[in-house]
Amino acid sequence: MQNYSIGRRSATAGLAMTALTAATRPGFAQAKLPTLSIVINNSPWFDGFKSVVDRYEKETGNKVELDVNPFGGSLEKQRSSVRSAKGQYDILIMNSSWFTEMYFGGFCEAITDVDPGFKLDPGIYTCDDTCFFDPASKTMTAQGKLFSMPINPNIPLLYYRGDLYKQRGLTVPKTFDQLLANAKALHKPPQIYGIAQRGARGVAAVSYDFYPYLFGFGGGLFRDQKAGDYTVLLGNDKGHAAMEYYMRLFREAGHPKAAAFDQAEVLQAVATGKAAHAIAVIAAWPQVDDPSKSAVVDKMELAPPPSLPGLPTSPALGHWLAGISKNVPDDHKRAAVAFFRWFQTADAQIFYTRAGGVPVHKAALEHPMGQERKFRWMKPMAEALPYAINPFRFPESPEVVAILELGINRVVAGETTAAVGIDTMTDQIVKLMTEKGYRTGRG
Amino acid sequence: MALAYADRSFRWVTLSPAALFLVVLGVLPVLNLVAMSFFTIVWKNAAADWQPVGLANYAAIPGDPLFSAGLRNTVVFAVASVAIQMVLAFFLALWCSQVRTGRTLYRTVLILPLLVPGIVVGAIWKLFLNPEFGFLGQMLGVVGLDPIDWLGEAQTALLAVIMVDVWHWTPFCFLLLLAGIEGLPRDVYEAASIDGARPWQEMLWITLPMMLPTILVTAVFRFVVAFKVFDEVYLLTGGGPGTATQVISFTIYQRFFTEDRAGFGSAISVSVIFLVCLMLVAALAVRARLQERPA
Amino acid sequence: MRRAHAIPVHIALILSAFIVLVPFIWVIGAGFRSQISLLMGEIWFSPTLASFNDVLFSRASDFVLNFQNSLIVGLASTALCLAIATTAAWSLGRLHWPRSVVVLFLGWSLLFHMLPPVMLAGAWYSMVRAVHLENTHAAIILAHTTLNLPMALWLMGVFVREVPQELLDAANIDGASPWMTLWKIARPIFAPGLAATGIMIFIFSWNEFAVALVLAVKQTATVPVGIAKYAQGYEIQYTQMAASAALSIIPAVILLVLGQRAIVSGLTSGALK
Repeated sequence: MQNYSIGRRSATAGLAMTALTAATRPGFAQAKLPTLSIVINNSPWFDGFKSVVDRYEKETGNKVELDVNPFGGSLEKQRSSVRSAKGQYDILIMNSSWFTEMYFGGFCEAITDVDPGFKLDPGIYTCDDTCFFDPASKTMTAQGKLFSMPINPNIPLLYYRGDLYKQRGLTVPKTFDQLLANAKALHKPPQIYGIAQRGARGVAAVSYDFYPYLFGFGGGLFRDQKAGDYTVLLGNDKGHAAMEYYMRLFREAGHPKAAAFDQAEVLQAVATGKAAHAIAVIAAWPQVDDPSKSAVVDKMELAPPPSLPGLPTSPALGHWLAGISKNVPDDHKRAAVAFFRWFQTADAQIFYTRAGGVPVHKAALEHPMGQERKFRWMKPMAEALPYAINPFRFPESPEVVAILELGINRVVAGETTAAVGIDTMTDQIVKLMTEKGYRTGRG
Repeated sequence: MALAYADRSFRWVTLSPAALFLVVLGVLPVLNLVAMSFFTIVWKNAAADWQPVGLANYAAIPGDPLFSAGLRNTVVFAVASVAIQMVLAFFLALWCSQVRTGRTLYRTVLILPLLVPGIVVGAIWKLFLNPEFGFLGQMLGVVGLDPIDWLGEAQTALLAVIMVDVWHWTPFCFLLLLAGIEGLPRDVYEAASIDGARPWQEMLWITLPMMLPTILVTAVFRFVVAFKVFDEVYLLTGGGPGTATQVISFTIYQRFFTEDRAGFGSAISVSVIFLVCLMLVAALAVRARLQERPA
Repeated sequence: MRRAHAIPVHIALILSAFIVLVPFIWVIGAGFRSQISLLMGEIWFSPTLASFNDVLFSRASDFVLNFQNSLIVGLASTALCLAIATTAAWSLGRLHWPRSVVVLFLGWSLLFHMLPPVMLAGAWYSMVRAVHLENTHAAIILAHTTLNLPMALWLMGVFVREVPQELLDAANIDGASPWMTLWKIARPIFAPGLAATGIMIFIFSWNEFAVALVLAVKQTATVPVGIAKYAQGYEIQYTQMAASAALSIIPAVILLVLGQRAIVSGLTSGALK
């Protein structure tokens, strides 16, 4: 019951804060709002979100119902709900892999349309401006309307074994060459593998873990989505180099189970001390320091993902945004806004962080608790976050992701070579984008 | 002759509920699939926009790697797993009918896996087959062999899924075959034993021929369920590595739901329905041929 | 029947039982472990109730509710399916329908039975929304009834054929109403088959995942849907999954211990011809 002991400890702090907030913010006691219904997927940070929701209920007297699903199931539930005449969920917790579908499909109501007085707290991290959307121009920039509230700015970071680094006198890698060298130095199969990488395909699996390499090599998927230029860059020499490097890591310092390794297996390898490195999302961090789940408690450290010399770290956003369903009654929409207004406060965000969440507020990310051992993820997170890239800005992205998932998985499984795989995927994406009527080509 | 028990209105009353179910919840969804297969469906302003594309969805099917791999693997999977299960189940049922002591206990244990949800079977075996901490890997380690990554290697993954299915579904065949064997008339065996037939002769010349109808029915029923395999694959492999364990249900699930391509997913579904029809017609034709043959 | 080779047969059966049981025992054991003990492959471990506790009592888990839902859905869909399938099988088998009707009906149900349920789930969801049943058990009950109908029709079709024609003729002469003939005269004869069919339907409903996943909401989620939640992207909660798997097979085991005689004798009486 490790999770709950964390919850309880922070609950004491929460109570003190409750008193404070209640005194300073009398406006919260509004007219009775209907029970707010939120659809979300299960995850290691879910406990943090659950705690923050519990506290919201206690503080405001409003009721919230959480429908927790497997990752893929959550998307299906959301699609079903938003496509019917009357929605089942007021708030959709949307992952980076599907929020565009909800925006472009017209399924979300702008927060500021529900409540024109709503202001996004300036401390909130806007996740590459993906919380904004302009339905007319179909773009996501700060000029658009506020369409969602960031919930978790999830990005991948480099997990490495601090204890082994100290032992061997290694320095934290900033470039891909250093990462490969360090991984090879610690690679002692079958006791420990230099790096655990994801190779399995899924909804957004291997492709997502490939982006930090692709972007870190200076490559990209499309030339300039914001400007409507969808020329596919995957097949250029940088894309090829990134794929070759990804495979080289596998061959020279990787875990042999590569092709069947999904995120859960990568993190298992980390938790059992079988992996000296992994590039994995921060959302998975809570389990690494949990003694009932991990054999490397206090041994893992984090750093921004490496890149080529001269290029910045380039993690891809795998974040979650909370949108309001269009097809629910107005009082439910107002209940959602009331929750957001509370959730974006620095207090709530600090509480959320302490309970095991990943905050979206600067005040929490830069809070002095980042000095505590337990919150050692906050500094590298704050460092890498400004460079985070949102890979897709158009609604048909799941079809592109499907091409990447199968294509990269086949390369990893050895069904095809890196070079042929990248070229095939590039051609498939160009063909797809042409069919969908985008300005595209091979770049 | 007017038969009171076969009263005309009674005939309708008894049949119509089932007919209602099969039409409303069976025919309508299929017609819906057929309709959708000629469109690309996108959502704009919270409304579905059906764009007619003619036969384009069907034209795209042959080029879909998940469709061809799914179909191939499903057929291999269904044929292999049902064949193995039938053989195993036949001997288990035969043996179980022969023992005097512990019969109920054996029967209870041997039926057990049937009662476990497929999703749980997937979870159990995913754990059990894990090369690092799974039971099988550990046992191989004890005898000094390298653990094999059954589910992770393209060469063994489908085989592993078949074996898991054998574990899960042999009990079903066992149950039906056991019922069949226990229903066989005793006097034939008595006559055979008086004639001095050996046990294997008895099995080959008496049990097997008399069991043939039950065996066929069980095999067909199992094949039908095996063809729809989904739950186990969902957790065990997710269709990978590569396309090694991609089955057709999973292809439909991915195209239709995950990627939200209702039109294309429907076209795949309709093609599968068509193929199933072909299989049924072929099976019925074979059966008709067999029945024509004088016994 | 010949009782030869007692000892080799026992050895073979014990070996098979062993293969069946080992994964079960191992998984039940896994339910009592901590996640890291399991992942490290420790052979010896100090048992903990944490996972069972988490599955049964944590506020984030709905397992008890899932269990209840599975029972409701299983029992209701079994009752409904049996009622519909029995009358229909009786109708088709004994009430002199034209052959074309019988062939069309059984042919469609056979074809329908071969279709992967994922194909139908989307359409069913829309239908359920259209008649406002989306938050009820009825949605899943109706779906499971439909899914199991072909199997029930097939099994009951076999069993109703066992009722001797002379009995029906006698009832006819006695002036029994059609319902009386079916309920009072025929039913006792195919009752064992009815029980066997019922148990089969219940098991299939208890195990069904793909359609329940699409149709269930939080309040109506069944056990397989609840268990799937433990396999999320970042970590598979193996011990919770093992604990819930162990708990989920309890009713099935009870059913099996109590009902296996009924299944076997029921199926035997039909002789599956």
